[in-house]
Amino acid sequence: MLEIRNLHAVVEGEELEILKGVNLTVNKGEIHAIMGPNGSGKSTLSKVVSGHPEYEVTEGTILFEGEDITEMDADERAHLGLFLAFQYPVEVPGITNKTLLREAYNTIARANEREELDPLEFEDYLVSKLEIIEMKDEFLNRSINTGFSGGEKKKNEIFQMAVLNPRLSFLDETDSGLDIDALKVVSDGVNKIASPENAIVMITHYQRLLNYIKPDFVHVMMNGKIVKSGDISLAEELEANGYDQMQKELA
Amino acid sequence: MSSVSTKELIHAYVQLPGVLRENFKELRSQAKENLDNCAFPTKKDEEWRFTDLKSITSNKFESVDTGITQADLELDEYHLPEAMSSRLVFIDGNFSPSHSAIEGMPDGVIVGNINDFPEHEQLRSHLGTMTNYEDDVFVPLNDVNFQDGTFIFVPKETVIEQPIHILNVFTHRNNPHFVTPRVLFVGEMYSKATIIEEHIGLSDNVYLNVPVNEFRLYSGAHVHHARIQRDSKNASHISRPVAMLDAHAEYHSYTICLGSKLFRNEPRVIQNAEEVDFTVDGLVLIDGEQIADTHSIMDHRFSHGNSHQLHKVVVNDQAHSIFNGKIFVAKDAQKIDSFQENRNLLISDTGKVNTKPQLEIFADDVRCSHGATIGQLQDEEVFYLQSRGLTEQKSRELLVYAFALESVESMAVKSVEELLLKEVIAYTNRD
Repeated sequence: MLEIRNLHAVVEGEELEILKGVNLTVNKGEIHAIMGPNGSGKSTLSKVVSGHPEYEVTEGTILFEGEDITEMDADERAHLGLFLAFQYPVEVPGITNKTLLREAYNTIARANEREELDPLEFEDYLVSKLEIIEMKDEFLNRSINTGFSGGEKKKNEIFQMAVLNPRLSFLDETDSGLDIDALKVVSDGVNKIASPENAIVMITHYQRLLNYIKPDFVHVMMNGKIVKSGDISLAEELEANGYDQMQKELA
Repeated sequence: MSSVSTKELIHAYVQLPGVLRENFKELRSQAKENLDNCAFPTKKDEEWRFTDLKSITSNKFESVDTGITQADLELDEYHLPEAMSSRLVFIDGNFSPSHSAIEGMPDGVIVGNINDFPEHEQLRSHLGTMTNYEDDVFVPLNDVNFQDGTFIFVPKETVIEQPIHILNVFTHRNNPHFVTPRVLFVGEMYSKATIIEEHIGLSDNVYLNVPVNEFRLYSGAHVHHARIQRDSKNASHISRPVAMLDAHAEYHSYTICLGSKLFRNEPRVIQNAEEVDFTVDGLVLIDGEQIADTHSIMDHRFSHGNSHQLHKVVVNDQAHSIFNGKIFVAKDAQKIDSFQENRNLLISDTGKVNTKPQLEIFADDVRCSHGATIGQLQDEEVFYLQSRGLTEQKSRELLVYAFALESVESMAVKSVEELLLKEVIAYTNRD
């Protein structure tokens, strides 16, 4: 589904490489976790894959379903079925969740020559997805993330993911800032969305999230590269010994 | 440019026909004297230093003949469903009885043409008493020339439920002309009314619109006043709306600027007794070479006043926004709570914004805050929406729409809100 080959990237207009040759393959039905210390480039990877204009790919390619998406705009990637759950979801006062999601859903439907939903059909569809993150109807009519608690913002990201039904989702530090109750709701939501037809890549600093969402593969990212891959035992090792220990071993 | 007499620019002092000339004779002759003594403003005047008046000074404006009725003019699309029996229509400054509709008003209420009530005590005692603009040519210009106008009187403890729609329409005329709409509103104790004042240009032609409004609110009177400026894109609009408030009065005004080449609005609210509450909000959406200038005064002369001003501006292309917000608090006017914010959104690289909060506070126990921001759309916001599948263009439109929306939602009249939403969408979607 996703194939990243030797990906190098810089902040637009700057010299310093943040990604220094990332290779990653994600297949349908898989859940991956990318772990790494602060500044390792793991969040940058999720932004580059989603098409953030702040970054420039200097080498390598990103293939999605066999198609080269390296130079595509973020919206075109979303139309193909890519989704990014933001680490810091943006507040947009004045636009309701419902307005954004209807516009997004129908834009993606049009791009894929699927039928759009009229406001009433869409309302029903939205309400049917609310239980995934245990939110009430009024959530739909609130301005996007405006005045939301940290937990609500993260729930909202997962709600958007449920509604847009992407093929591949990057969850960027979705566990950060969540108390244990919110973490359970969010991870339950992700587990309900996960299916043999889609794939999920979690970006996280801590192993905590992986107790709730079980990854098939765990990758460790350091200094702009994936330095080690394995299964859940790799995360356990990191939790026990820390990133410093692993860095020493690799050196 | 050396000083220019207003007379050269504007063929003022129209020969109003007999009865109009006789009405308000004192006001007119005093104003004529002021007009003769006052030069037209230039950029050398501190209050006009950012404002390019070329769209006025490059023309000569003729007056419009009085008494012309255009009964066959089709204006249905501009009617507000909430105001089907509370509407006054002025066409190029002339009152149009056939387009107007005033029915079912509560006892004692007057909503009509100013010339039908020249001897009314409230009209005589208030007209021209609140508009003391310094070194000003525009109020006198209106004083001398207004032909018809709006007079609204709401007696004690009377509530007018339906909004009153004052519709000023500007039709196609070959020569540049000037029009001087006039409004006098008097609300007695504990009366209540909603006024929608609208200016609409039906063509692209050149005219000068110089409205003067006077709102006198007695104790406990409550007025909601929306002003919608959709003048011709080649028009110049110089506004002088004043409100004077007695104790416990509330006056909430919302000015929406969409049209005209040049817009200069000088709202003033005067706190004339203790315990008042007022709002002077604005929303400006400009592009092309439009200039929109707001010079406001919130004048607290007595203690215990609340005032609030949120002035929002979106600037595209080479448009230019100017804001000068004065808050005056007199020496003995304690416990004033005044808030002013000017938020500007620049969506082109060539737009221009000048903003200047100006607080002159002589009392020591007050709370006055102000803020001015000039920003562009944040890349992170655009990316967030784009990552959900919206095109970059659509994302930007939606963000501009969201910025403007807050002001639209203050309108209090459903159809006006809908109308403005359409205007906001048209502004953001224009390409």
